[in-house]
Amino acid sequence: MEEEEVEEKKGRIRIEEKLKRYEKIDFLGEGQFATVYKALDVETKQIVAVKKIKLGSREEARDGINRTALREIKLLQEVHHPNLIGLFDVFGYKSNVSLVFDFMDTDLEVIIKDTDTIILTPSNIKAYILQTLRGLEFLHLHWILHRDLKPNNLLVNAEGVLKIGDFGLARFFGSPNRQYSHQVVTRWYRSPELLFGARSYGTGVDMWAVGCILAEMLVRCPYFPGDSDLDQLTRIFTALGTPTDDNWKDMTKLPDYVSFKHFDGSPLSDLFPAAGDDLLELLGSLLTINPNKRCNCTQALQMGYFSNRPPPTPGPALPLPPNIRDKRDQQKPTLKRKILDESTFGGSLAKKLQF
Amino acid sequence: MAGNFWQSAHYQQWLLDSQDLIQERRPDLEVLSEEEYQKIMIFFSNFIQQLGETLKLRQQVIATATTFLKRFYARNSLRCIDPLLLAPTSVFLASKVEEFGVISNSRLISTCQTVVKNKFSYAYTTEFPYRTTHILECEFYLLESMDCCLIVYQPYRPLVQYMQDLGGEGEVLQLAWRIVNDSLRTDVCLLFPPYEIALACIHMACVVHQKDCKQWFAELNTDLDRIMEITRYILNLYELWKTYDERKEIQSLLQKMPKPQTQPGPR
Repeated sequence: MEEEEVEEKKGRIRIEEKLKRYEKIDFLGEGQFATVYKALDVETKQIVAVKKIKLGSREEARDGINRTALREIKLLQEVHHPNLIGLFDVFGYKSNVSLVFDFMDTDLEVIIKDTDTIILTPSNIKAYILQTLRGLEFLHLHWILHRDLKPNNLLVNAEGVLKIGDFGLARFFGSPNRQYSHQVVTRWYRSPELLFGARSYGTGVDMWAVGCILAEMLVRCPYFPGDSDLDQLTRIFTALGTPTDDNWKDMTKLPDYVSFKHFDGSPLSDLFPAAGDDLLELLGSLLTINPNKRCNCTQALQMGYFSNRPPPTPGPALPLPPNIRDKRDQQKPTLKRKILDESTFGGSLAKKLQF
Repeated sequence: MAGNFWQSAHYQQWLLDSQDLIQERRPDLEVLSEEEYQKIMIFFSNFIQQLGETLKLRQQVIATATTFLKRFYARNSLRCIDPLLLAPTSVFLASKVEEFGVISNSRLISTCQTVVKNKFSYAYTTEFPYRTTHILECEFYLLESMDCCLIVYQPYRPLVQYMQDLGGEGEVLQLAWRIVNDSLRTDVCLLFPPYEIALACIHMACVVHQKDCKQWFAELNTDLDRIMEITRYILNLYELWKTYDERKEIQSLLQKMPKPQTQPGPR
């Protein structure tokens, strides 16, 4: 098969050309499906993240371009929003795929875990959750479910901009009679209907995850860290109360429904004594066990929490892990930049007229 | 599939201008006449349709695969990749994009072999020559050539919605649906948004079944000249089919078609 060898060689040359364009700077991380590198785009002088999809087994390689990568490619070509990760380029050869994204300095998981140096003030939390909901609202309005929201997938750059990343599980929703997998979303952020095995679900699965993330920012550790699906449900019901036929009709018809011991649950104000009423209103709505009564993004964004004081912290003033903060301080911003930043991030509340 | 068409890559990047299309095809049109070019495209759309039906794919997947093939050759000469290879590759990629489930590569290849042998022996006297490795390589060229725009909006969904509003009987919908299928053998999916194609097909079906839809169309806030333009494309196709016998002509057309230069392999 000499002809194939020639083709192989041509393919390798194509990849090498692209690898020249993206100069590897640093290794960033490794997940189940991919390895991520920080790289310099020689043509635009921009720092980017290159996500190289791992070559799976021989059999997977025969499936051609990896499905997870293909989902990310097809959805990210359709949606463009400041709070969603941007896809710049795709290159590869046969099953060997690399995706080029916005470079993001850190993620919300790192920020939440860094309890030594980072203080998450109510303003900071508001800024992060606001950006999350804005990005997610845009997705939902385009009929896309993310299905894997967790702090680790909420990426943050040195300017304090949060972008939702990792669309490997995302897909369109809304087609009637379509069955979806319930084995989505990392367990700790999985909603009760998914844990009961629901196959038709909607934006509620993402909203629940946002609720878990908000709670996690408040207490600085995962709020429902279940170690099995049953334990996950037990933790949720112990805290919030076991749902009944009255407040969640048809719950018992879900495929994996099991009856639970009755827990009364506690009021959110007891669970989060430091949180204000407006925040509790939002959190309570996000963490509503019945998916039909959970709020959607647009409703969430209209809640009092986002128009009340304190205003969300402007992006550049958000706390960052020390190594990234140092980097940011090195690039001293000019006055012009500062003014721009303040106007673009809308950090302060609109000035009210005083009479 | 849902989403917002007006903000889609399909609307923003993949509605082409008919003049640009002719320009892009010029290298091929130096060898083939416009009609011959169209006949070749029809042949490979038929090939995709057969392949899809044998693999029991939904029409949506078949339509997307056909659009992929057309998009590729809207930017590349037939010389770049043999359409006999690009056609199954389009089916392969479309089935993944439309979340249809896995078509294993070996099944795809064996289906290609069967289809070429049983259905298209009038075009090819030799066996289907490509293997998995060719498809995998070709998949990437296809993806790149389309600038990674994978989501294709098809006329089927708006068709059904309009028909609900128009209150059409089953036979009008059925015919309009078939006209949409036929429209995949013309350039309209490269030139017009899917809702306009759907409207044109409904209009044609209404005329055939003598259903009065004047009022309904008059109330639509849409440019009827464009609908008529689409109708012309489709009528031209039917006109061509009247006299064209693919079984007799296709072999010589395929001979004449510009082909990839063979690799100067180190033999």
